[in-house]
Amino acid sequence: MKRVCAIVVLLEFAAPALAAAIVPPTDGLAWLKKMTSASRQINYSGTIVYHHGGRTETSRIVHYVNPAGGEFERMETLDGPAREVIRTNDQVICYLPDTRTVTIEKRWKHRFPALLPENLTGIADNYVVRTGGVDRVAGLDCQVISLIPRDKLRYGRHFCAEPASGLTLRARTFNEKNEPIESFAFTELKIGGNFNRDKVRSRYAAKSRNWKVDHSAFSTADTPTDTGWVVTHQPAGFKKFTELTRSFAGRRAKVSHLIYSDGLAAVSVFIEPLPAIQPSQSLSHQGAVNIYVRSIANHMVTALGEAPAATVMQIANSLEFRSMAGK
Amino acid sequence: MDKISELMDGELDEWQVHAQLSRVKQDERLLGCWDTFHLIGDIIRGEPSLSKEFSDTLSARLAKEPAVLVPRRTMAKRITTYALSAAASLSAIALVGWVAFSNAPHAPQADLAKGPRTPLPAVAPAPQFANAPSDGKMSDYLIAHEEFSPSTAIQGLGPYIRSVSSTQGARDQ
Repeated sequence: MKRVCAIVVLLEFAAPALAAAIVPPTDGLAWLKKMTSASRQINYSGTIVYHHGGRTETSRIVHYVNPAGGEFERMETLDGPAREVIRTNDQVICYLPDTRTVTIEKRWKHRFPALLPENLTGIADNYVVRTGGVDRVAGLDCQVISLIPRDKLRYGRHFCAEPASGLTLRARTFNEKNEPIESFAFTELKIGGNFNRDKVRSRYAAKSRNWKVDHSAFSTADTPTDTGWVVTHQPAGFKKFTELTRSFAGRRAKVSHLIYSDGLAAVSVFIEPLPAIQPSQSLSHQGAVNIYVRSIANHMVTALGEAPAATVMQIANSLEFRSMAGK
Repeated sequence: MDKISELMDGELDEWQVHAQLSRVKQDERLLGCWDTFHLIGDIIRGEPSLSKEFSDTLSARLAKEPAVLVPRRTMAKRITTYALSAAASLSAIALVGWVAFSNAPHAPQADLAKGPRTPLPAVAPAPQFANAPSDGKMSDYLIAHEEFSPSTAIQGLGPYIRSVSSTQGARDQ
């Protein structure tokens, strides 16, 4: 039985790679589609370095597809405080041993396909997509794909994809001054391998039984909601992707979540009743993600996304509440 | 101050325009005047670019002022005095929000005033706030956001490290 399973897994891995070798994409958008499919379909394990704001964090990362169904991913930080993220079809779980906390986030039921066709149109409208030369990352050759922003409302990107599998070996984000502000790059990567549930099990699975568990979820998982909030002056190129109502651990009130996207970058706007301790208007960042907090009409607005601060702020500053008829 | 209204009315020659624009860019108070003057011009012309409540409030306040407001050269000094007193008594937050919005690059309604105005170069709102590294309290929002970002879809699990990166890493800084 085991032998049969192993062969099935090998064939499943080999098929996409063979198909890829026969017809490598010729244009940048096709490469982006291939990279997105690869991130979900290819088994791999490796070491990835996250570089941001002069800091470096190294993590071990594995991705496996179970031939019986189901996708499993695990990322474990190798320096600094131990942290682990496990993602399956249904949820994202973060293990934080230092605070003995587990956070569980249910995933959206609509697992939208690799890159929606409207995303690709959006990307071409907002970025000049170019395939560059061949570079080398983690000992593997990779194809460079550049996305040059057509205006200052978005950041530039640069990807390097392994030609046969399409896996993203390196991804960089550049700001308005063309300085790199964030980078993900594999330093070591093994493509392929058999699915083994142990490889994607948390090392804290047993220990965390007594930890504090924070659950976050969507209250309406299937259908988009009309939250009543509207962004009246969307930055050019950004369109509303969807809006939802959700709950966060530790907060009783529901939170409205609006998502705007230009095809590649996304900005999320979270709106909730003002907490007891009112937040001051603030701007911060985490890597390429700018985070802006402001208050409007007794609500706290948190807008964040991989876009320049001005873009994130414009979306948040032009938010209005339109009362819903009959509600 | 009166030079600003002359600037707006197109009554300065080119080198004066450049000089005044530099002054305005460097002085937040003058920037405030610039925006207030255009706000008033909009209301007088009945431009629909403002929310109704904001326009009504400002109009009501201005109506109480004892002078006729006409953005003409002879009235420039009066506009300065009365517009500022009306504006000053409006909610500070509303004005700050307005300035931030109207100065945003590529804002669709950046064209506040028609006429011989030299467009003010887009001032990024960022200088109003120091953009500090996140304090680690945004993990919930970041995880919720990563689910929907096409950038995450292309790369896989990697970007989720942002959600756990700041939580404890910031302690070391």
